[in-house]
Amino acid sequence: MAGGALNAVDSLVRSDAVWAGAWRQRLGLRSAVAALRLMGRQDEDGALRDAVLLLAPGGDPGPAGNVLVAYKRLSSRKISVDSEILREMADLFALRFDNALEELPGLVDDLTKDGKAAPFAVAELVTKVCALRPDAEILAWWLADWLLARKLGWSYPVPMLVAERYGAVFRTGTGKGRVRPGDETFARAVCLALVQGSAEALRQATETGRRAEQLLAVAPKLRTKGAEIVIRQLLNEDALSASAPGTKLSRWASRRLFERLETLGAVRELSGRSTFRIYGL
Amino acid sequence: MASQNIAKSQGRAKRTVKADTSGFDRELEDLPADLRWREWMMRVEAVIFASAVPVDRETLVRVVGRNCSIDLLIDDLRQELHGRPYELVSVGGGWQHRTRASYARMIQASAAPTRSTAAALSQHEATVLMAVAYFQPVTRGELSAMFGKDVSRDTIAGLRDAQFIAPGPRSPTPGAPYTYITTPLFLSAFGFDTLRDLPDIEMLEDAGLLNRKNITAEMMGPGTADDDEED
Repeated sequence: MAGGALNAVDSLVRSDAVWAGAWRQRLGLRSAVAALRLMGRQDEDGALRDAVLLLAPGGDPGPAGNVLVAYKRLSSRKISVDSEILREMADLFALRFDNALEELPGLVDDLTKDGKAAPFAVAELVTKVCALRPDAEILAWWLADWLLARKLGWSYPVPMLVAERYGAVFRTGTGKGRVRPGDETFARAVCLALVQGSAEALRQATETGRRAEQLLAVAPKLRTKGAEIVIRQLLNEDALSASAPGTKLSRWASRRLFERLETLGAVRELSGRSTFRIYGL
Repeated sequence: MASQNIAKSQGRAKRTVKADTSGFDRELEDLPADLRWREWMMRVEAVIFASAVPVDRETLVRVVGRNCSIDLLIDDLRQELHGRPYELVSVGGGWQHRTRASYARMIQASAAPTRSTAAALSQHEATVLMAVAYFQPVTRGELSAMFGKDVSRDTIAGLRDAQFIAPGPRSPTPGAPYTYITTPLFLSAFGFDTLRDLPDIEMLEDAGLLNRKNITAEMMGPGTADDDEED
């Protein structure tokens, strides 16, 4: 069952849609919210977007924003898991870096080469990481998404596992508590989580795809110079702040551009505010 | 003043990317295993002793051999310091020598000038700092709403001068005030390794000392004025 679900996501990933960046980023945001719950924080996705988008360059977005940064990095760049990237992630997840974490690149490498089916490799990875460092479960799930992509030969990870951590699939049969890494039924729960995660990813893909088509359809109607960069960013990012940093547009130009796009139904204002607007597909 | 210098040097340490490791032998292949281990321990302790800020793993790896376990080295060093009035503590993502807490009163009584990392805080400042630590990123306005009275700019400035807090992302409310977050110095001064070591907020909630929901609901209430766009 997990194989079938993953196959559907796999063909979607391989079709290499232009909006795949925005799709992964949006799943990353969802994962970050779940990961924060694992850390004992209740942050909403809007607040996370704000923390990262309204940050001055080089600034520190705070503990919640850092988790979103970690997931953004997972889904936007081709990364190999070595001790440098792990150190960076441990920093972002506010984890102490010690010898146990230094062993992880080797562990991930072994599991990548080992012939096990992807869901079971993922379950084993999470179990082993949690056994090494019980407080590093958040990092374990982050690595799990990475391992899944590596196993299936995707160029970018699609974050979807951690969001199911608090879903129905990890509930125990008795109705009390949740399945923990190391339990007998954990591997089965991970398979189910993959099914659920894939379903959610596909649902998100349908929505993102539809909106992206709308955006591409209205793109020729835009007369703003430099609009292509904004369009490209919209297709690659979860959201953009209305001042569109990184483009050459003046703030008036970018504001007009986003308002035009909004009237044409190509983007949405995501924050619900009349100031500090944040636009996305 | 001392704490400012420390924080500055902390920033500088981060900026130094490449350290020169060519002048000495890291691997010590020609020594027998136990002497090699001994020498590594000495080196690590010397670096930690000399450093002004907690020394992280990355720094220590530069002075020992490639397959040397830092954690085991530190364990051995701690063992050695067993009968001493100071110890090796793990704070702010690194290690530092500190006198044992039980000698704090004697050191104070002696009035010797110490390399103290923490500026003295008033009760009010300490409370504000605690609120920032738990609710970061948080603005001054939100802090005032939490305390039910104005948290003055001076209080915030004092904490900023002591390098315990730093500005984070700007808040999307009228005036675009800065939010505040805690710094690595805060972690080191209060003996935390990471932010996760803060006492559990859920336990505080269960004890009825805190209520996040009420606070956020209050903060969301008045903040919807229609100002001109500021982006």
